[in-house]
Amino acid sequence: MGLTRRDFLKTSIAASTAATVGMPLSKQAEAAVKASEKGWQWDKSVCRFCGTGCGIMVATKDGRIVATKGDPDAPVNRGLNCVKGYFNGKINYGADRLTQPLLRMTDGKFDKKGKFQPISWEQALDIMEEKIRWALKEKGPTGIGIFGSGQYTIHEGYAAVKLMKAGFRSNNLDPNARHCMASAVVAFMQTFGIDEPQGNYDDIEHTDTAILWGANMAEMHPILWSRITNRRLTHKGMKVVNLSVYGNMSSDIADLEIIFSPNGDLAIQNYIAREIVKRDAIDHDFVKKHTVFATGPYDIGYGFRPKNAEKYASAAEMETFKNEQEHVIDNWEAIAQRKKEGEVVKQANAATPMKDWAISFEDFKAAVEPYTLDFTAQVAKGDPDESMDAFKAKLQQLADLYCDRKRKVVSYWTMGFNQHQRGTWVNEQCYMNHLLTGRQCQPGNGAFSLTGQPSACGTAREVGTFAHRLPADMVVMNPKHRALSEKLWKLPAKTINPAMGSHFVKQMRDLEDGSMLFSWTHVNNPWQNTANVNHWIKAARDMNNFIVVSEAYPGVSAKVADLILPAAMINEKWGAYGNAERRTQVWRQQIMPPGQARPDIWMMMELSKRFKLKDVWGEQKIPGLKADGFEDGKLPSVLDEAAKMGYNPEQTLYEVLYATPDNKKVAWPDPVAKGHPNITADLLKDGWFPEKALFEEYRQFGNGKAHDLAPFDVYHADNVRGMKWPVVNKEGKWVETAWRNNEQYDPYVKQGSGFDFYGNNGQALVMGDLDKPGDPAKKVDISGKAKIYFRPYASPVEKPDSNWDLWLCTGRVLEHWHSGTMTRRVPELHRAVPNAVCWIHPKDAEAKGLKRNDLVWVESRRGKVKVRLETGGRNRMPRGMVYVPWFDEGVLINKVTLDATCPLSKETDYKKCAVKIYKA
Amino acid sequence: MNLSGILVVAKPQWLGEVVESMRAVQGVEMHQVDEATGRVVAVLEAEDINVEIQRLKEIKALPHVIMAEMVYHYLADDEKIYEGIPPELADEQLQNCAVPAYLND
Repeated sequence: MGLTRRDFLKTSIAASTAATVGMPLSKQAEAAVKASEKGWQWDKSVCRFCGTGCGIMVATKDGRIVATKGDPDAPVNRGLNCVKGYFNGKINYGADRLTQPLLRMTDGKFDKKGKFQPISWEQALDIMEEKIRWALKEKGPTGIGIFGSGQYTIHEGYAAVKLMKAGFRSNNLDPNARHCMASAVVAFMQTFGIDEPQGNYDDIEHTDTAILWGANMAEMHPILWSRITNRRLTHKGMKVVNLSVYGNMSSDIADLEIIFSPNGDLAIQNYIAREIVKRDAIDHDFVKKHTVFATGPYDIGYGFRPKNAEKYASAAEMETFKNEQEHVIDNWEAIAQRKKEGEVVKQANAATPMKDWAISFEDFKAAVEPYTLDFTAQVAKGDPDESMDAFKAKLQQLADLYCDRKRKVVSYWTMGFNQHQRGTWVNEQCYMNHLLTGRQCQPGNGAFSLTGQPSACGTAREVGTFAHRLPADMVVMNPKHRALSEKLWKLPAKTINPAMGSHFVKQMRDLEDGSMLFSWTHVNNPWQNTANVNHWIKAARDMNNFIVVSEAYPGVSAKVADLILPAAMINEKWGAYGNAERRTQVWRQQIMPPGQARPDIWMMMELSKRFKLKDVWGEQKIPGLKADGFEDGKLPSVLDEAAKMGYNPEQTLYEVLYATPDNKKVAWPDPVAKGHPNITADLLKDGWFPEKALFEEYRQFGNGKAHDLAPFDVYHADNVRGMKWPVVNKEGKWVETAWRNNEQYDPYVKQGSGFDFYGNNGQALVMGDLDKPGDPAKKVDISGKAKIYFRPYASPVEKPDSNWDLWLCTGRVLEHWHSGTMTRRVPELHRAVPNAVCWIHPKDAEAKGLKRNDLVWVESRRGKVKVRLETGGRNRMPRGMVYVPWFDEGVLINKVTLDATCPLSKETDYKKCAVKIYKA
Repeated sequence: MNLSGILVVAKPQWLGEVVESMRAVQGVEMHQVDEATGRVVAVLEAEDINVEIQRLKEIKALPHVIMAEMVYHYLADDEKIYEGIPPELADEQLQNCAVPAYLND
């Protein structure tokens, strides 16, 4: 019949596809699927990549993944996959997968300048133990640190928090989510007093308007984009707006594309607020009942080293860094901040940027008054080739959409807002406009922060793998939060260190100035993902310190390390992620990790067996510690207290933190596994089920506090496709929360209130004016209320000039995920987009005598990389700006980027710095 | 070689046009068309994932296409898997079942 295997496969793929999307199958097609999938075992899993959190079905046969498909029952993606879905089955099988521990050695001994040699796990743990003991002896608990991740499973993140905060008494654990979500987090906490979006993805099918602020959803969140596209084409009156600093794929179906200047978004938001006020589009009832107006200081610096920067920075770098101390007000800031052009402003609140106070509505009105159409258009117009009139007309159309109270509006953003020198502010401004018009927490109405990473919400934020956090939105600086955590963890009082640890960029700075000696990287690539990376590579290689990197593939960070630990990947271990709509989703282990690769959780537990209570719970020095109830610079010994609680100083951290008597009751094997393996349990060999036990323990933190989760087994049930927290038990059933803070949906909302921003219960603000807080004795209770912040326009700290004449923006591309450690291993993909290119406007290229495909240097005050020019393709740059994605370690663009952060969130701004380009 | 199952959705009244224009996209085979809901199941074959993405974009750009996304990915590293007929297919009965009638014309 001439039928080939290929024909057969196609028939089968078509039939599977049809079945997945719920189309009826012929008997023949069914038979084809059956024959083709003979011996396959299908199980539910979750996509490894972005924060959308698509459900994926994974087929295994003979211990390998043979196929993946969109999960038809997953409410997020309803059977669809974006192209990244394809990688879920491929990423485990790259040719250069790391399969054994590797240590830099010379003549059989560790040598920082040596070459990587394979060693056993026993030897790897030996050297880690030795180096941690050395770091603790030299520097105390702050001498060690972990770079954690928004790609941690929930269990891994929880194990890391416990190891560092309860075991080593160090708060130096910070995730790469700091680079990604921190601004969103601070804005949530400041505005609502509780983290994560109130809405969910079903907003798309309820709304009339999707407004994208610095989120290229078509490339970065394709499945959500397909839902928006569908809505756009099937719902009459649906409008899509794409606000961006350059033209991208999301503009293709947009009704309105607005190209704005870097930081111009700050002005546009205030222009919209001014229009809302002027046209009286305010929802007065909502504003009166549920909100309070607020503001904070403007002189907050730019997140550089607070002092002695010149010790580490070049003279060229100092031209930018000096703004941390004093900033000269430019012509736009003079109007926007009610100051004088040329005024020198001491950045007096650089250490206290989070200060805020209440203001009157009259003050708020006065604050937005300067943001007229004329002013905003001049500040914010991003494309020099667009006419001022055309740009103004677009701004007016945008304001029309926000002011039309009959229209439902969802605003989406990702890195464009979060990676921003005023990232917290611009997030808060978005809430400002939604709250003013009463459009939050309702189906189809809300400002919705999208996430970049699969468990930025579920792990980094809810579990609290940040330098200041404990689980369930609690923080180490708060004595009540510490006490509650110590109680749940069965720790003696004062075990937890009350001083905030080092955030991600600060951990790099700590390595550079020698205050940190031991660093361990989990599930991310810090030496590729951190801005101004020349400094950090030098710090890792030239300073006397010890760098451990757990990795699946030899990325930049692994190459920079002293010790590489081979890590198990998704589907090679049990796991759970929490996505951007608060949905917790789980998977079972499907396949075994290759060679000696091991789950991160196993690594932490094995290491914890090496340390006894007497090693860590005695008195510890903490430089600079000042907290009520603590001696300056010191953590007390808690060993006596521990003895009273029945602990023995000879007990290991493994026994006290992980394999506790309660946890060991959670037995492995367990019927929930349905025959799937658990490599962690099998290797630990002591009969407990670590992932389940830790999840159940972790759950106690959030239950009853609007962070509730269902039991472990509930998520693993065949008919469950994740649940949106808080998940509360109602009459024996576990019920998720679709829209938070809305009485109709959220069991935590006070009855009869309609809306209740209970995250701020018990909080109060001092009343003040636009410039300063007033009498500290006069406080306004803000229980149940959200804050509407006024935040001003501020110019980028580094702007193009005659020497550095172009803006540089960085980001991702559809085909690669983050630093490409995983996706670049898929051979056909690597051929597709093998190297990063530099997108530039053809006229800019021409003016410099350059053309497409020329090899050029992109150089900033900090460093330079060689890259090929692209004048066409998917991104349409305005004149004056170039774009280089960061996935390619051969084009290590973070050598060029600036490590300015939002001073509130400490999240780096990767979207704007000044560069020049010339022929290589 | 890449094989993916994709779902294309069009407004039902334009389905005929969409099917017609999809025929012109290289590497696309349409396997099932649901006239009531405007859905088309197609298999996309491409030499690498770049070409695959390009073709998906071409389909998305066709007039009257509301949506086109991937659903299913088959993973095979070995070309031989595609080319040879696997032993289980030698079975006459299965072979008959394996080929829907519309593939034979």
